[in-house]
Amino acid sequence: MKNIVKRSVFAVMAAVACVAVQAQETFPGRAISMVVPFPPGGVADVTGRPTAIALEKVFKQPVSISNRPGAGGAIGNAAVANAKPDGYTLLMALSSITVIPEADKLFNRKPAYTLDQLAPIALISADPVILVVHPSLPVKTLKEVIALSRKQPGELSYSTSGVYGALHMPMEMFLHAAQLKMRHVPTTGGGPALTQLLGGHVTMSAGGPAAITSHVKAGKLRPIVTWGAERHPNYKEVPTFKEQGYDIVYYIWAGLFAPVATPESVIKVLRDGVRQAVNDPEFKNQMAKVNSPINYLDAPDFAKYVDADAKRLAAVVKVVGKVGP
Amino acid sequence: MIEAKDADVQVKGGLRSDQISGVVLIAIALVVVWFNREFPVGTLADPGPGYVPLLLACTLGGIGLLVAVMGARSQSLADTAWPEATRALIIMGACVAATFALERIGYRLTTAAFLVFFLGVIERKHPLTVVMVSAGFSLASFYVIGVLLKVPLPRGPWGF
Amino acid sequence: MGETFNSLMMGFSVAFQPEVLMYAFFGCIIGTLVGMMPGLGPLAGISLLLPATFGLNPIIAIVLLAGVYYGAMYGGSTTSILMRIPGEAASVMTCVDGYAMTQQGRAGPALAIAAIGSFFAGTFGVIGLMLMAPTLASFALRFGPPEYTALLLMGLFVLAYMSGGSMLKTLAMAVLGLLLGMIGIDVMSGYTRFSFDIVELGDGVGIVPVAVGLFGISEILLTAGQVDPPKVQQPTLRQLIPTKADLKLSVGPIMRGSLLGFMIGIIPGSAHIISSFVSYGIERRLSKHPERFGNGAIEGVAGPESANNAAATGAFVPMLALGIPTGPVTAVMLAAIMVHGILPGPMLIQQQPDLFWGFVASMYVGNVVLLVLNLPMVGLFVNLLRIPYAYLYPCILAFCILGCYSVSNSTMDVWIMLVMGGVGYVLRKFGYDLAPVALGLVLGPMLELSLRQSLAMSGGDYAIFVQRPIAVTMLVMGLILLGLALKPLIFKSKDWRSSVGLDKTID
Repeated sequence: MKNIVKRSVFAVMAAVACVAVQAQETFPGRAISMVVPFPPGGVADVTGRPTAIALEKVFKQPVSISNRPGAGGAIGNAAVANAKPDGYTLLMALSSITVIPEADKLFNRKPAYTLDQLAPIALISADPVILVVHPSLPVKTLKEVIALSRKQPGELSYSTSGVYGALHMPMEMFLHAAQLKMRHVPTTGGGPALTQLLGGHVTMSAGGPAAITSHVKAGKLRPIVTWGAERHPNYKEVPTFKEQGYDIVYYIWAGLFAPVATPESVIKVLRDGVRQAVNDPEFKNQMAKVNSPINYLDAPDFAKYVDADAKRLAAVVKVVGKVGP
Repeated sequence: MIEAKDADVQVKGGLRSDQISGVVLIAIALVVVWFNREFPVGTLADPGPGYVPLLLACTLGGIGLLVAVMGARSQSLADTAWPEATRALIIMGACVAATFALERIGYRLTTAAFLVFFLGVIERKHPLTVVMVSAGFSLASFYVIGVLLKVPLPRGPWGF
Repeated sequence: MGETFNSLMMGFSVAFQPEVLMYAFFGCIIGTLVGMMPGLGPLAGISLLLPATFGLNPIIAIVLLAGVYYGAMYGGSTTSILMRIPGEAASVMTCVDGYAMTQQGRAGPALAIAAIGSFFAGTFGVIGLMLMAPTLASFALRFGPPEYTALLLMGLFVLAYMSGGSMLKTLAMAVLGLLLGMIGIDVMSGYTRFSFDIVELGDGVGIVPVAVGLFGISEILLTAGQVDPPKVQQPTLRQLIPTKADLKLSVGPIMRGSLLGFMIGIIPGSAHIISSFVSYGIERRLSKHPERFGNGAIEGVAGPESANNAAATGAFVPMLALGIPTGPVTAVMLAAIMVHGILPGPMLIQQQPDLFWGFVASMYVGNVVLLVLNLPMVGLFVNLLRIPYAYLYPCILAFCILGCYSVSNSTMDVWIMLVMGGVGYVLRKFGYDLAPVALGLVLGPMLELSLRQSLAMSGGDYAIFVQRPIAVTMLVMGLILLGLALKPLIFKSKDWRSSVGLDKTID
């Protein structure tokens, strides 16, 4: 109770302060809004909230989360891309940020935003996905999966978080690299995709380590292979695609962006702030609790990372093309 | 059933309300079919994005046709009274204006102006009450929803 | 069994600490407040409070969120009954008879029955959760796309029972609703349908703005032009309490609604929204006087309200027993648990029994607190009707605009609400019933998706619907229900013009 009262008093004071110091020069002189383009409770949200709290401590200014979900993240991404470039509006985006403009191109849609409207600030976390199968499927290794699929072409099925979604891209990478055909059952999100697999309605799916761990431990899912560049620390026995002879890598990452026209001096303050924030022990503790591995990269490296990822994924989208009849 | 009696009295002449609404349903169906043409329909075994909308539009068109044909005995359109239409239009107009203003001049100003319009201009209440209710409502709702519940309500260019 | 009882007692000993109880009260009050805002439902309430729970201990956090959840569910029915504004999809059916009761000066009993029904359903749901969570969860997992399709088709067939008006017009409205549901990105192919390059329409048309527009705004448009404004109601204490006859009529609907809602609720996905519609249809079908429905039948409030609350509790079964977020609300709840370092999953009940039982007990405490809080508040809420209509309706309009804006902080939802308000007004003038539009909109995208998912699973073979026992059972049941509904139509012609909305406004 006290805590909430304190928070609201704080919020009112912040609102007053924000009006008072609007004309001030040094950044940040007022509250910062961090847009999360997904609903609360998602990966972006549980990464964004600890980051915001840690940044609050660094900047001595409130950093509030604003959830702007919709259209697979496009609405929130576009909101920041078109926001006033003053550093007071930031974006906690997921890797899907690079896929959405590609899909828009594919369907001749007016793009909601383009990647060059956003300036990368820092990568916060990255996690590879893992191929899991239903335990009733008689396969234990990638070779067996491929052999089974060759024997019954088009019979095996997989569920994803949606067409061109974060779990569809890695599956298409794999199927294209191994020249396989499978039935695709898209769903409305990572949770439903996992539910379909647990119920045995599909045979396999790509899953994030945080989502699958408890089911793997309970024997309800069997991990086969990971898209990571190296083995996952919690899944030491699961080989990577690279080890198995397929050069495919895929991570789901979360990173901070600002509108591209944000002044260099402001970006610098933000970069320094994030660097301090990710080393905050409380931040590390929170991220560990939600099973989100911290994978910090500063702006120059992050920009390269985003470019490489965008190129890779654009290629996949082109290969997939328009699905359906 | 007042309308039933009316319908019996005026068996001849005039457009019927169901005939109009049926035709409008058919028109909606046609519009949907028109916009649906850019989506692949697919087959029964592999329905594409255009399949279900096309199916629904055809159903709607069929139902619209039935409504129109069977509505020959329904209430005459001329008998449909629209006593509240003017007031309804004014209300809709005010709402449209308020929605348009919401993200331009901010929540509190919009709501206050909206209430002043209704209470002062439409309902002609005492000016003091109008001011108190309008200001009180907009500030209190902003405090509860915007500050306590942290919904980011729009602020105007003056930070208000 | 004995062990279960001991564990539960342990849970209660945690949940009954004064500090925990205080948070439960606090949560219920905030939840009721949030739920009363059109547009801000349980999901918004929980999301808004989630960050505030980060600093609390897990049990208190969950008690607070459970209180908000229940409070918001109940708050939604308050505005539906008093002002015909459905705060969320689940209260659409409550609007119809609840508001009719308010117009007859019986808002008190309607609110009381909603509270009692919700409490009973919550109790039933918690008991079910407690005794059978693991069993039910593995049953719930057997619901794949084909079963889902069958379930949703059953929901569609219930339409036939929903309205007393012309069957043809009911169907037309349902199809219109289904078509509205086609707007937005097609999950199966990625095409954006009928969005006219408006990014916000990519996710489709939300049920909240549509329901608020169709029911709330259209009502204001129809009422505002009347020569005599609605009279101010000043109910006496006696009129606030449900009569014996009310209670007797409500027992059956509450029991059936609870069972039905719980069963639908445990199924992963968003099907729980249809539970209130199905309950309404069933009650109308079972009633000896179906013509009372739509004109203030208390069963039409009791059934759907219980069903919707039981479904809400049922949704926690797969969440707790399997650790999978099956819907938006449970996804947020899961996040709330995970933030405290607890990994929900199939092992949760064995590995962290204190948390599981604490959760169950605190959910129950939230339920009790809500009843204790809200029964006396019925009198307070009814006082809203003492405000002269000239003051009331501008404020309601402002609330609707505010509420729809805050659904996703965009004016797009407000525009949708306004358009739907105008459309609803005209449709009611022409004698169309609007509840089927809401049902169609809810069912449309889910039905299309699960049908096409099933076909993707089977490689285009429709036999998948008859090869799976649960699916085929439900399909047969649905067809029988449909046949029963069509029988009187074939043997006895109906009056095309009779419609609730029309009668009321023309006179």
